[in-house]
Amino acid sequence: MSDGAQEIMIGQLERELAYYRRECNDLGARLLRLQEEQSQTFREARRSRTVAKLIREAYRLADGELTPAEIGTPMLEIIIENALCDGAALLEEQGEGFRISHAIGVGVEAPSHPVAIPSPPAFFYTTARTPIEPLAYELTGILRLPYVLWAYDKPTGRALILGNRSESNVSRPFEAGDQELIEGALSVYIDIMLRKQAEMALRGAKSTAERASAARARFLATLTHELRTPLNAIVGYSEMMVPGSRYDPSPADRGRYTEMILDAAHYLLKLADGILDYSYLEQALPSLRPEWLPAGKVIANTVALASGEGQSREVAIRAFAIDPALELCIDPVRFRQVLHNLLGNAVKFSPAGSTVEVALLQGDDGGIAVTVRDAGIGMRPEDIPRALEPFQQLDHQAARSFGGAGLGLPIAKRLVEAHGGELSIESWPGTGTLATVTLPPERVRLRLED
Amino acid sequence: MISVAYAKHSDPATAVRGCAASLGTGPLEMLLVFCGGKHDPHVVLSALRQAFGAVPVVGGSAAGAIAREGFGYSGFELGIIAFRDPAVTPRCVTTRELLPDERAGGAALGMRVAEVAHADDVVLLFFDSVALASPLRLHPASAIVDGFHAGFGERPVCLIGGGLLTDMNLAGGWVFDGAAVVKHAAVALVFPSLVRAETAVMHGCRPVSTFMEITRIDGAEVCELDGRPALTVIERMLGLPLGGSRGHELTLTATLGEKQGDPFAPYDENAYVNRLILRANPETGSVTLFEQDFALGTRVQIMSRDNSLMLESVRRGVAEINRAVARSEALFGLYIDCAGRGSARSGAPVEEAALVQTGLDPAVPLLGFYSGVEIAPFAEGRSRPLDWTGVLTVLRRRA
Repeated sequence: MSDGAQEIMIGQLERELAYYRRECNDLGARLLRLQEEQSQTFREARRSRTVAKLIREAYRLADGELTPAEIGTPMLEIIIENALCDGAALLEEQGEGFRISHAIGVGVEAPSHPVAIPSPPAFFYTTARTPIEPLAYELTGILRLPYVLWAYDKPTGRALILGNRSESNVSRPFEAGDQELIEGALSVYIDIMLRKQAEMALRGAKSTAERASAARARFLATLTHELRTPLNAIVGYSEMMVPGSRYDPSPADRGRYTEMILDAAHYLLKLADGILDYSYLEQALPSLRPEWLPAGKVIANTVALASGEGQSREVAIRAFAIDPALELCIDPVRFRQVLHNLLGNAVKFSPAGSTVEVALLQGDDGGIAVTVRDAGIGMRPEDIPRALEPFQQLDHQAARSFGGAGLGLPIAKRLVEAHGGELSIESWPGTGTLATVTLPPERVRLRLED
Repeated sequence: MISVAYAKHSDPATAVRGCAASLGTGPLEMLLVFCGGKHDPHVVLSALRQAFGAVPVVGGSAAGAIAREGFGYSGFELGIIAFRDPAVTPRCVTTRELLPDERAGGAALGMRVAEVAHADDVVLLFFDSVALASPLRLHPASAIVDGFHAGFGERPVCLIGGGLLTDMNLAGGWVFDGAAVVKHAAVALVFPSLVRAETAVMHGCRPVSTFMEITRIDGAEVCELDGRPALTVIERMLGLPLGGSRGHELTLTATLGEKQGDPFAPYDENAYVNRLILRANPETGSVTLFEQDFALGTRVQIMSRDNSLMLESVRRGVAEINRAVARSEALFGLYIDCAGRGSARSGAPVEEAALVQTGLDPAVPLLGFYSGVEIAPFAEGRSRPLDWTGVLTVLRRRA
């Protein structure tokens, strides 16, 4: 081949190579763009599917055993997993501001104080281009993250906020199109929470109704028995004394029978009082009339009242000394009733020759505890909750021996709670029982010297 | 015996308890832990100590975790490999000296590993990928690995590993180095010689340009390709400007690949070393790569991520591993998966981690994590850091 022909061929090959290079790069560029468009389309589709997936996964929480308060964190986990954000929080409107009920994410620390957002918007988001205005400042301060997405449901006072540390290809900038995502997530949360609340209320009502029904049945059984015993005595002795009776009792017998009828009638009256007292408790509680009274005097008077019963059962009652300046803000009638019920039980279940002790202890927090300790028959720890329920006689044999419709402790418990306090029972079979009435600091003071 | 546990919960203590329940009781030699980046590592470490006692804890943060029971990149995942048998428990060698000089840190680590390792031993290497979050600076794996080889010497070593991230946005990373939670640190786990590794590197990029020569480069910053500003070349390929806030989008779009061996041999995914583009620099017309191992004169091609290719590569790699470990005593499988391959970032219609999860022989206990960089033996030679790959390795007893 001549040099000229070789040069022509080389020139041809160079042109051909340049052509293929150009075509390769052009096709490559088109492939690159198509690939990117496909990825972009898929990411967009994924974003749309995120809402549906989030809602589907979140609704599974409704089927679990979680309480309304417990669904917040798993709900946020689902939101973060689907929305791929750095942090998220659920908020609850409280007065002028919002309380953060749940928050998770990188370095997210929910402020314990309420967050002030004077005019909470229904939807809001921040990006790198958002001007620093008060609202953006308030919302970005919640999670301490600069890019946030916010939704607020005014009727329920609930809000959801998502946050990112940066704007990038994964944590892409928030945009108006995210309204569907955040409002969807918030409404699902509210829906599940309300559903859970309704479920809990229903379950509570059902449980209350079942307990009430069981209590009624027990009450009727107890009452029937408690009524029949004295009524049988009244009917029996009356029949023996009625004119024309074949028994023709002597005057001495008549006197004894009359006493027994009277005893039975008194017992019936006491029983009726207890039932009425418990029945009217609901109405009576709101009308408590607390006043400041010397603690020592209240306890001493009640102990004196119970001492008569104690003497008849040969049970001593010992009250420990109480600071004379100590005063309690209590309803004089109802609080004495509490102590009287506790003392009555202690005396009733104590063996002859034993001592019931009454003491008042001052707690470090400024509250007080009144304790009534006996050395009686006691009860098993698992029976204590039942003893605090109405119409529960733990041991029917004991009930017959000791009498009573099982209303003393439930009435005392309700009355103590109405004073803002608590009644707790500790007991050991064969050893005795310790009843403790606590009152909060606001119901306790030391009288200033006159 | 080696067992694997996985849990996901926003409360780290609950996640640890979930893993502990799954692992059961019994003496422990070491825990290899990959922990979602939204967890407080100190709380996790404390919970691990409470649950497992004073056992050494190695590993670190992960953008997500992958196991048989599930996978995800929410940042609340926790994956644990528990080593119970001293015969297969690795020795742990660490360095906390990456910040001043990654190469020197890697070299020091390599020298210490050389003191305890024999030829061809399996070494797992983990380090925190992000040196500084703002401005973003990575611990380049190329410098660490290069230093490691220099320190280790001429003996062959099966080095496999990954960079630890807290999330896909490269916000941070940290390491459990057996004693504490640390940054700027690397952990090398040197396995006894009876342990061998079968490894598959799954790719997902395809060349979309002719060869171009790097005509100006400064570390990881590629300034010119074929004498033109690198950014201009790439922008022309993409058909869109990448300045301003769009600079970060390059990470999702294109990579630079260096083909090993015969440049004109037919396409083979295993012949390419890919480098992700960390950012575009419109003011200088350059692009900054994740690694700094390209040099003046390196011939590169612009590579496009290809999700179909990625999924196909995973299927092929998993099948290859299944064949390799069949009829051998597999100890556990570790999947070091580039965080960018997650569907949220790659846009893949199927999570490629799911293909590993379901495709790997069910008899092999599996744990994986989403990483910042992957390290694996390359082209039957020394190990190299790789980008946009999934490295699946199954450790087994030598036959």
